[in-house]
Amino acid sequence: MRKLATVGFVLILMLVFSLQADNFFNLRNFSELSFNAAFLGLLALGLSFVMIGGGIDLSAGGIVCVVAILCSRFSFLGTPGIVVVVFGVVCGAFFGLCNGLLVSRAGLTEFVTTLATGILYQGLGLLFAFRDTGKLSGTLVSMGITNKSYLALGGRFSALFGARGALKDFHLMTVIWIVLAVAMYFVLRRTNFGLRTYAIGSHPKAAEMSGVDIRRVKTIGFVICGAFAGLASAFLVANMSAANASLGSGYEFQAIAACVVGGIALGGGKGDAVCALIGSVFLVTILNGLYKFNIPTYWSYILQGVIIIVATVFDASFASFARRLRERRADRASGEEAMRL
Amino acid sequence: MTALNLEKSAPLPSDVESRAGQTMLTAMGICKQFNGIAVLTDAGLDVRYGEVHALMGENGAGKSTIIKIITGVYQKDAGAIFIDGQPVEINSRQDARNCGISVIYQELSLVPALTVAENIFLGQEPGRYGVTARQEMRARVRALAERYGFQIDPDAVVDSLGMAQRQMVEILKALSVDARLIIMDEPTSSLSNAESERLFETIDALRRSDVAILYISHRLEEVYRLSDRLTVMRGGEVVGVLQKDEINPKTVTTMMIGREIHYADARTEKKLFEDNVLEVSHLSCGKLLRDVSFKAYGGEILGIGGLVGSGRTELVKCIYGALRRSGGSVTLGGAPVSKSIRKNIRAGFGFVPEDRRVEGFIPAQSIGRNIAIASHDRLSKAGFMNAAAENRWVEDAIKNYDIRPKDRNYRVANLSGGNQQKVVLGRWLAREPGVLLLDEPTVGVDVGVRAEVYEYIRYLASRGSIIIMVSSDLHELTRVPDRILVMYGGGFFHQFTRQTATQTAILLAASGEHPEEGEALV
Repeated sequence: MRKLATVGFVLILMLVFSLQADNFFNLRNFSELSFNAAFLGLLALGLSFVMIGGGIDLSAGGIVCVVAILCSRFSFLGTPGIVVVVFGVVCGAFFGLCNGLLVSRAGLTEFVTTLATGILYQGLGLLFAFRDTGKLSGTLVSMGITNKSYLALGGRFSALFGARGALKDFHLMTVIWIVLAVAMYFVLRRTNFGLRTYAIGSHPKAAEMSGVDIRRVKTIGFVICGAFAGLASAFLVANMSAANASLGSGYEFQAIAACVVGGIALGGGKGDAVCALIGSVFLVTILNGLYKFNIPTYWSYILQGVIIIVATVFDASFASFARRLRERRADRASGEEAMRL
Repeated sequence: MTALNLEKSAPLPSDVESRAGQTMLTAMGICKQFNGIAVLTDAGLDVRYGEVHALMGENGAGKSTIIKIITGVYQKDAGAIFIDGQPVEINSRQDARNCGISVIYQELSLVPALTVAENIFLGQEPGRYGVTARQEMRARVRALAERYGFQIDPDAVVDSLGMAQRQMVEILKALSVDARLIIMDEPTSSLSNAESERLFETIDALRRSDVAILYISHRLEEVYRLSDRLTVMRGGEVVGVLQKDEINPKTVTTMMIGREIHYADARTEKKLFEDNVLEVSHLSCGKLLRDVSFKAYGGEILGIGGLVGSGRTELVKCIYGALRRSGGSVTLGGAPVSKSIRKNIRAGFGFVPEDRRVEGFIPAQSIGRNIAIASHDRLSKAGFMNAAAENRWVEDAIKNYDIRPKDRNYRVANLSGGNQQKVVLGRWLAREPGVLLLDEPTVGVDVGVRAEVYEYIRYLASRGSIIIMVSSDLHELTRVPDRILVMYGGGFFHQFTRQTATQTAILLAASGEHPEEGEALV
């Protein structure tokens, strides 16, 4: 229901943009749009585990930053591209684990922990970047990537496998993102871990009473969130063929926005991986469309804010509407029963 | 945990017959002290398969303590527990579960976002490699429900279920781990009449399947309808065990109260202040409070009795403005009472809430701040507090109401319960409110402070204020108020004067039976 509504919105938007802007509806733009959506989408996908579990992660941007620098440095060793990407994922997962342990073992609140670690990771990114230039002061230097096989992973499908099939103009990351979104949908809805994630987000006390190890489920959620941020970062660097330490800031909030717009409640227990996917497409489509219309940037910020508020209000009023409907039905049922007795 | 096995769960008639009537749980000689105060002395209980065993007693009789010992929340100081005739040690909830004992909690422990089947198996999901075996889960829930004659859809999301059905899910969850004794603590307190009826059918089905049920309730009619035997507790001891045919309202309430102490009160008729009159007419608040009307005059102390959930807290909160009225009106001295707490305080209302920790005071702030918080209108000018006036105001209150320590900068969180209550009370008394609403004003305070609280209330009344006092303490209700209104099911049920009120009669009225004393209102 909620998902269909958002998908409908996306389609209407696309239609309007296609009709109004002649540079919107073409393969080239769609490939670019889908790459941006994939980057944001991977972050949102990871974040959805934390948010469905009733938490929040503000460190995704920081993880993107530090992993970008680490990946670019690692790629200079000349390892195959796939190894660099795996390295990025592992680094991201490690930073996620740090978040998870701080939250679950040290008992800090998630908001403060990830706010702090997010800044810290950004700092680590800067540190590694500066080491590279050998100067303590001075401007941030973008590091050009020279590792060919790594660069190829950031490109289009055609660059990897030759010009074949319908996918040739799309990026590898886009395809991986869609595949992972489907896989994560399955993980959340069909596995014990997924079930427990919903449980701790919806009613932690009840989950605990049922023997769910809340701290463990939470920690795993943060690890997944970090791993996805690492993956997104590794691909982004390969695509841009350069990394600098200013990368990543602000993405954490866009990812949260994508989740909220897609229908993952901030309080936890609601939504799924497909919500994160749709939410990301929605946000990126609007940004892209506005860009094509040459509408000034400030409008896109204002509009993003408005959309988040509208989505939240919609969810809240829809929930209360559903509750009233249910109560009325229950009232009628118990009334009928009372008549029969 | 032993999850229920499908093959084994098929009903075996011979098995069923062999268990009924046998003793499942025996607890005897149970003693328990907290900080040197005995809460249980030589208490015992035995529950048989296939029976509903009711447990009754006033607040503080030791019901919940003995339940917590049986379920492993507390450790007993002395005594023994036997399951199926074998001595057992229950030191944790897990031990209790392993013995086949499950509790259905008042606040339900289900996850709203998950389905019935997912909830029942949460924490011990079937399946391989972490992938949940959903078909198996559904089949097992269906088999379980069929076995006990429950009707429930395994795929329904719990959030969409009514309270009675949720309780059914809780019970199924208990049964899925082979519970043989199910303890229900006030299970109908959040149910409508039709829903209660459904729960009773569920309980009957359980009884037929030879599950042992320990049923705790304050509502006499339920107990008559359901229970096969009844254990009555008072003051940490078991007063008696009644068989089904011995259970009747008078016997039960007399056993619960014990010896009745009459306070021959020789006080002369009080002076009423006719110009200070609070008139409540047809006041309603959703389903919790239905069409309530009364008048109270200055100088009068009005007691409100009734069980938790009878609408008594909602009544005072509605008058004060803390709950939104859904119908009816309230006037004070002829002028309508606002729905805004802020305006009502200025008009002379004061309110001492039931749970002072949550609604009564701000723990991290000082005694002074907590007392002055309701009187900023009198202690400030143009939004700036007059520090000297505030300090004088606070020092006076601390002195008048004997709050200790006599230090206005002391944090309220570190005070004793009695002094915390004096801070909350002092905040209002300092204003000399025209109407003071009190919800359980003496819960968790010692005898000395209690007497002081009564004294302050009486003094305030003698100066012309209206006092409305909600209480579960029968002793207090028979002694302090001039008039007592007992609520039942969201409305007034029975009225007493101080002369006609006895503890037994109030208890009877609160449980939904009209006593001979006083005057029936419905």
